[in-house]
Amino acid sequence: MMLIHCPYCDEKRPEIEFAYAGEAHIARPDAAEQQEMSDAQWSEFLFIRDNKRGEHCERWWHANGCNMFFNAVRNTVTDKFVKTYKMGQKRPSASQISKWNEGGNV
Amino acid sequence: MSFDIKIDQGVEIPEVLQSGRVVAELAGEKVRLSLRVKSADRTAVAKALGFTLPAKIGATSSKVGITCACLGPDEWIVIADQDKGGKLYGKALKLASKYDMSVTDVSFRNIGITVTGEGAADMINVGCPLDLRLAAFPVGSCTRSVYEAVPILLYRRAEDSFTVECWRSFAPYVVGLMAAHRSGAAST
Amino acid sequence: MSEFRRPGRGLVDYDSPVKFSFDGKTYDGFEGDTVASALLASGVHLMGRSFKYHRPRGPVGAGSEEPNALITVTRGKGRMTPNLRATTMEIYAGKETASQNRYPGLGFDAGAFNNVFSAFFPAGFYNKTFMWPKSFWDKVYEPFIRKMAGLGPAPTEVDPDNYGSVYATCDVLIVGSGPAGLAAALAASKKDQDVILVDENPQLGGSLISSPEVTIDGLSAADWRAKTLKTLEKSGNVRLMPRTTAIGYYHDNFVALAERHTDHLPMVEPGRIRETLHRIRAGEVILAQGAIERPLVFDGNDRPGVMLASAAQTYLNIYGVAVGKELVVFTSHDSAYNAAFELAGANVRIASIIDARREVHAHLIEEAERRGIDVHIGMVVSGTKGKKRISEVEIYESVHNDRKRIKCDALLMCGGWTPSLHLWSHSKGSIKWDSQTGVYLPDKANENCVCIGASNGDFGVKAALDAGSKAGGGRKTYKTEEPDFGVGEVFDHLPSYKKSSKTKAFVDFQNDVTDKDIKLAVREGFHSIEHVKRYTTNGMATDQGKTSNLNALEIASKALGKDAPQVGLTTFRPPYTPTTFGALCGYRTDDLFEVTRKTAIDPWAEGQGAVFEPVGVWRRAWYFPQDGEDMHAAVARECKVTRDSLGIFDASTLGKIEVVGPDASKFMNLMYTNPWSKLGVGACRYGLMLGENGYIYDDGVVGRIAEDRFHVTTTTGGAPRVYRHMEDYLQTEFPELDVWLTSTTEQWSVIALNGPNARKLIAPFVEGIDLSPEAFPHMAVREGSIFGIPTRLFRVSFSGELGFEINIPSHFGLAVWKALFEAGQEYNITPYGTETMHVLRAEKGFIIVGQDTDGTVTPQDAGMNWIVSKKKKDFVGKRSLQRSDLVAEGRKQLIGLLTDDPKVVLEEGAQIVADPNQPIPMDMLGHVTSSYWSESLGKSVAMALVKDGFNLMGQTLHIPMAGGVVHKATVVKPVFYDPNGERLNVL
Ligand SMILES: [Zn+2]
Repeated sequence: MMLIHCPYCDEKRPEIEFAYAGEAHIARPDAAEQQEMSDAQWSEFLFIRDNKRGEHCERWWHANGCNMFFNAVRNTVTDKFVKTYKMGQKRPSASQISKWNEGGNV
Repeated sequence: MSFDIKIDQGVEIPEVLQSGRVVAELAGEKVRLSLRVKSADRTAVAKALGFTLPAKIGATSSKVGITCACLGPDEWIVIADQDKGGKLYGKALKLASKYDMSVTDVSFRNIGITVTGEGAADMINVGCPLDLRLAAFPVGSCTRSVYEAVPILLYRRAEDSFTVECWRSFAPYVVGLMAAHRSGAAST
Repeated sequence: MSEFRRPGRGLVDYDSPVKFSFDGKTYDGFEGDTVASALLASGVHLMGRSFKYHRPRGPVGAGSEEPNALITVTRGKGRMTPNLRATTMEIYAGKETASQNRYPGLGFDAGAFNNVFSAFFPAGFYNKTFMWPKSFWDKVYEPFIRKMAGLGPAPTEVDPDNYGSVYATCDVLIVGSGPAGLAAALAASKKDQDVILVDENPQLGGSLISSPEVTIDGLSAADWRAKTLKTLEKSGNVRLMPRTTAIGYYHDNFVALAERHTDHLPMVEPGRIRETLHRIRAGEVILAQGAIERPLVFDGNDRPGVMLASAAQTYLNIYGVAVGKELVVFTSHDSAYNAAFELAGANVRIASIIDARREVHAHLIEEAERRGIDVHIGMVVSGTKGKKRISEVEIYESVHNDRKRIKCDALLMCGGWTPSLHLWSHSKGSIKWDSQTGVYLPDKANENCVCIGASNGDFGVKAALDAGSKAGGGRKTYKTEEPDFGVGEVFDHLPSYKKSSKTKAFVDFQNDVTDKDIKLAVREGFHSIEHVKRYTTNGMATDQGKTSNLNALEIASKALGKDAPQVGLTTFRPPYTPTTFGALCGYRTDDLFEVTRKTAIDPWAEGQGAVFEPVGVWRRAWYFPQDGEDMHAAVARECKVTRDSLGIFDASTLGKIEVVGPDASKFMNLMYTNPWSKLGVGACRYGLMLGENGYIYDDGVVGRIAEDRFHVTTTTGGAPRVYRHMEDYLQTEFPELDVWLTSTTEQWSVIALNGPNARKLIAPFVEGIDLSPEAFPHMAVREGSIFGIPTRLFRVSFSGELGFEINIPSHFGLAVWKALFEAGQEYNITPYGTETMHVLRAEKGFIIVGQDTDGTVTPQDAGMNWIVSKKKKDFVGKRSLQRSDLVAEGRKQLIGLLTDDPKVVLEEGAQIVADPNQPIPMDMLGHVTSSYWSESLGKSVAMALVKDGFNLMGQTLHIPMAGGVVHKATVVKPVFYDPNGERLNVL
């Protein structure tokens, strides 16, 4: 069982308190944008997800903790969390991720 | 026609947990309020309520008969004795029209179980994976977590005393697990 | 005392004799003995038969690495455990043990014909032979294989023992209590760290116990060990855990420990926990698991009496047992000389030391000669003789073709040492090949973990102690006197004059894999060690190849002409040693296996003899049979009374979410398809929730309690996911909304009253609410009290009858229910369960999400377009409803079905076709989703999802069943009862 750093609680907590919540940084288009989108674009938004080997931005939910959804960069090969960050923060750049990697995981 | 309307928490503490080094007890009827307050209004609401809303997740404030724990960035739970808590809901409801906040009565959603005695932390660790050493989970800490398959609220009242709260229908499982541990541990 | 005992040696208690049985015969031992040590003390080496060839076998080792001496231990009904290692099973008075894999007896075994015909059982034999015909598998091949191969039989009775599991946290977890582990514990303890020190053995101390000639800081190894253990016990911050195996090492220093409490005890009180699984989170893990001696691979190396040199040392020093009277030692490593000298010092005759190497340190040879031991340098053992036990070895020198026979009753072997990297590998620490010693060593750690002592390739007591101190955060260097651990040479092949077809040199004793099998696998094209492993099954037995993996690797890499690292190493996987299912389950068996949620009213239903059904993790009353009624009769009666007079139903499991805040209605507008802004306070509305994909996700009645407060209900099973769905959107997509969600499912007990007398029943007990139809119309909610208990009273109906749902605080649910039931007697009030609830709603055509919908049904498909707002700019799922596929003609649509024969109740899930005479496979139009006998209508009713169903109204469809019966049914609108809803208006 992993430990996951919750950016709201600001501590590492047992994985069993968390739930995975899919890929991160897929913003829901607003009402106007939705109407402008073709069916193909809408399907892309609904169904198409990355299946990354390596660092993956994804959402987690501290369901049995502070109840907050947050984002994380996790390496899908090593299963290590590189960094977790609050909802609303921007997707980290590749260079930011490699910096975090050098500094060790959170 | 007259009817006997009795209160019923739906769970009993098994005999094996009623005596010995670590004892479990039902916390009894409490007033429980889920408070949600935007950070800008936190101090003002606290002042009006008459107790602190701690800002740090996991921290609690307490005064006689009332404990208030911060569970999330804008979430607190207030657990109060009946005599203290009776008027609290109405008071908080009134505040809600003035401040950016909400209050919901969850008094009967939870069952409180106190676990007290030397090694009480071990009894909690039967199902809860948190580090309960005093430095990591000091007296006064309160958090949601799990007890095996059950979501719980865990509060450390003293070094050797905890309150475990869970939703009503989960309580028999929680005390069942504690009792199984005690029955085995008593002979080990 | 037995001639094999060496009183004064070992940790056994010579004052406490113990009798136990093995294969029905009684043997003597002492407290502290294992089954293996006590049998060896009685002169017994033959303890089992091998897996494939049923060859006689004795113990090779003295610990958990043991591949051969597997036994079954029985202690009463249900307490039969097969495949236990005799080398780790402590004896107690009356212990019943038995050998395995033999019929009719250990001495003579019928299955040994496999051995005689072993030429026909090479690697891959099963794969190659039992391929065809397929139908032979179940009846011929599998039973044959199961009978002839395999280990002990699985127990057939329920395990009556209790098991436990706990979590714990510590700063430092140390695995292994040899010199490295003890020194690490001492140092960490001094640094005020919380330490857990585990060892799989009953005694802590590891190799220190069997090193009588060693001194540490001026104390004998035994005294230093005793003193250290005392210090650690007194420290207050070190938890010593003997009989505890670290079975698996997982992410972030999470280590599973299996502690055995009772297996060594003669008497176990009922209820006592047999094993506990400790789930440890450690700040740092120190692995000091030592090394395992490597067998040598030569013809006849599996004969009882052939064992590892270190095992003989252990038997002598821990159990006071000499493994034989006249021993031969065969080695390629210096360390076996020390073993030989020690045994010689204990009055065991060492006939010869055979050293496969051409060069050996002079001081070893001198010391041997001083003790009168013959040393044969550059020679190997080329064969062994003896039946139940070795009686003679043949030794051979390849250059001069010298051969010689030596009598002996035990042969000790040493092919070097393999550092134990199992847990290190679980943790995904990397390893590197050390070509000099021919072993893998730990390289880079993946966790906060160090591997020290022999498991790091640092052999010798001082090296282990110093590494331990350092790992524990100390700086102590120890002074020791100890024999030089020495060096060795690794042989991938020992010379032999025999034809290879005439030899049998075992690599994996437990799975009966020989060197020939491995070479054959390579010849047949298996070039990766993982493939060789699977083809030969080397290392796949219960010992996971602890003694065999590296020998297999040497042989395979030599055969391939590659370096070992290029061939790889097989993956170690948890558990380190076989672990009981009981330990893995812990407390979670029987009632604690899974949570069963029960409502406040559940005890009453149980008292009434209700039959229950699981709904999610809830159990709900299904129906209430009376006087021997079957389900059909009970449900018919419950339906009838409810429609005629009054039914009472426990709806407490409905999910409830309180949606509160100034933006509550905005949020509701986004989460549900229908509009909420204009819903007045005190009014209710049925809400339909979609996923973003446009399919029906959940539904329920929502009451507006205040301008800023909604009381939302969800389906029973959907409550957790609806809450999550709402939280997710609120936090991540609509964070600007001032609204908060609280699950209140268990705050309320919900009692549903349905039937024309519902109002009459509650009227006398309700205060603060005007119940008249004008003041309290259908689809309204009021706050007041009932029996003096505060209530949120909903006027809603899921049955089509006049209905109320009484929400009261759950701690009063049972009392209010009982009071209503008592007061309702004058109306023949009838409790009903989920089945009647389903029938009543189906008669009205109300859907059940998850039964009549399946995650691909849109509101249009369900005939519920009326509930989808055309005006709202946005709600979850809105855009998807416009997708071309979702608006396409001919989708499956929810319709009603009336069978031509009204008595036929269709099977739910039955497939529907247009033409039953079409050849199979027929074109399937859809399936029956709900189907019931309607007592009220005197006929069956059904709902179905049918392709283009709305355009098939009035048409006949066919439902072909297994067995050839074909039912006919007519497509209708799915409202069967009171289509105009007049019954809601009863006064
Ligand atoms: Zn958190």
